Amino acid sequence: MTETPAAPAPPTPRAPGFLQASLRIMDLSIGQMLWSRRTIFMALVVCGPVVIALVIRLITSLGVPTRINGAAMTGPAIFGLMIWIFYLRFTVPVLGVFYGTALIADEVDDKTITYLFTRPIPRGAVLVGKYLAYLVATGFVVLPSVALVYLLIVPINGSLGTSFLAFVKDLVLLAVGLAVYGALFAFIGAWFKRPLLIGLIFVFGWEQAALAFPGYLKRFTVAYYLQGLVPHAMPQDSVLSLVQAIVRQTPSLGSAVLWLIVIWVVTLYLASRMVERREYVLDQ
Amino acid sequence: MTKRTRYFLVGAAAILVVGLCTGLVAYYSGGLASLSAAQTGPSELTYVPADAAIVAYANVREVMTSQFRERFRQAMPQPDEGRNELLKETGIDVEHDIDHVVACVLPKDGEDGGLVVARGRFNPTQLESLAREHGAVVEDYRGKRLLVAQSHDGHRQPTLAFLDPGLVAIGDEVSIKSAIDAEMGGHSVLSNDELMGLVKDVDSSASAWAVGRLDVLRAKAHLPEEVERQLPPVKWFAATGRVDGGLSGTLRAEARDEQAADNLRDVVRGFFALARMQAGSDPKVAALLQTLQLSGTGTTVQVSFTVPAEVFELLAKAHKAGQ
Repeated sequence: MTETPAAPAPPTPRAPGFLQASLRIMDLSIGQMLWSRRTIFMALVVCGPVVIALVIRLITSLGVPTRINGAAMTGPAIFGLMIWIFYLRFTVPVLGVFYGTALIADEVDDKTITYLFTRPIPRGAVLVGKYLAYLVATGFVVLPSVALVYLLIVPINGSLGTSFLAFVKDLVLLAVGLAVYGALFAFIGAWFKRPLLIGLIFVFGWEQAALAFPGYLKRFTVAYYLQGLVPHAMPQDSVLSLVQAIVRQTPSLGSAVLWLIVIWVVTLYLASRMVERREYVLDQ
Repeated sequence: MTKRTRYFLVGAAAILVVGLCTGLVAYYSGGLASLSAAQTGPSELTYVPADAAIVAYANVREVMTSQFRERFRQAMPQPDEGRNELLKETGIDVEHDIDHVVACVLPKDGEDGGLVVARGRFNPTQLESLAREHGAVVEDYRGKRLLVAQSHDGHRQPTLAFLDPGLVAIGDEVSIKSAIDAEMGGHSVLSNDELMGLVKDVDSSASAWAVGRLDVLRAKAHLPEEVERQLPPVKWFAATGRVDGGLSGTLRAEARDEQAADNLRDVVRGFFALARMQAGSDPKVAALLQTLQLSGTGTTVQVSFTVPAEVFELLAKAHKAGQ
């Protein structure tokens, strides 16, 4: 009896490239990010301004003039204040910290990073894929929220058309802020053991303090470059804000954009490299 | 990606697109409206010569009939003697007879000129009689009737011109003749793209506005170098004011370069901070100062403010208490 020759083994599929692997990880992670418990926090953060805008709109439709600290304000001015106070100073850095630091740290804490690292994809692609998922998840929540606030608030004694360019600038600025803060905190998350604490200290400690001191220290913050691009007047709603306004320096457009790109590229590259090289020892 | 995630992303994107499209439509509707208009700004700009350094407009009627003025009058009552005297002498009731005015400053080597063009209801016979009583002579210049007063101190001669029915110009003789030339020769400020660009940016609903090139004025003024150095390096400015129950306004300036703009912003910021610290104990003044907003990027510096109607009520109370 002659043995039938064994069928040739199917060719081993080629491992996906860096970009393909990143996109696959992104596709996998978006759902995880959006439907996690952290989303409740994100929903509260971005729904707050929308609810406030809705209340203001309802109040003004009843004929009550809009006043802040006793002063009458137009819709575009209120919109500018909301962009500063709710989004730029709080939502963007806080979402950057919470999501950015968790990109790798969550997988380490859950001891699931091994499953990702055993896949035939570059380790750096895991981080970049998760970072892209973070951008999509936060961007698709924050930016529509800003759009709703714009539609609700700006028409109060103002014009949607006149404020349109400022609105577009705001959207771009917030997207850039999410990207840069996310990259920075992805790096911190990949490097440090307690990244969330360090991230919060950076955002609410270092950045606030550095912006309140005269001199060059503010150049070592993201907020300095980001706030320099805001098309709205900086509110002076607290003593710290007042001090920051007094010592405020505005970088030129070119310099601010250049440094934001540098921070974004460098920190994302370092984060990716850190994940590539670091040996993660999981606690048993 | 699950179906639920996909639906969420599509919904979020839809909200964003709706916001952007609505803003875009509103933006272009405004743009098309201004394009379809016969010209930018009031029609009296045809009488403003092209070399004007400053152009200003005031909707006198809107200001006079505003709640703001009424509250201001209640807060600070002014005697009506001047107004009554003007009415008696010229037949012009400022409150009812003048609709709007356009004014300009014309920089000239030596002495600056200027004129005010007023649209309203005037009595030419009464005005001419009054001018003749004060020694003015009647001239005809390119079909327009001028009343030229005699100047005894060597300065330019004050002149009143009847440009069109319901349209008079007051200014020095040279400027008035330049205005008539500008209108007839088509060399008005409407052909000055730079200045008209500033006029175009002005909010069309503003009760009053002024735009100007400060660098031109400064160059013509031949100021001493020490004085020149102390002046803020502002190329041009645009100021707008809107009057309703209260008063709101914006002052926008374009500095020579970004460094100069930064310095100017620092100076203004310093003034604001100083004022706020001074007003710390008075919540009303602090609230008023809170409306002062400094903004602008690059070479642009912008200050906006709002004076709420309540301020006038406070002034009225203070006035009564003072009496």
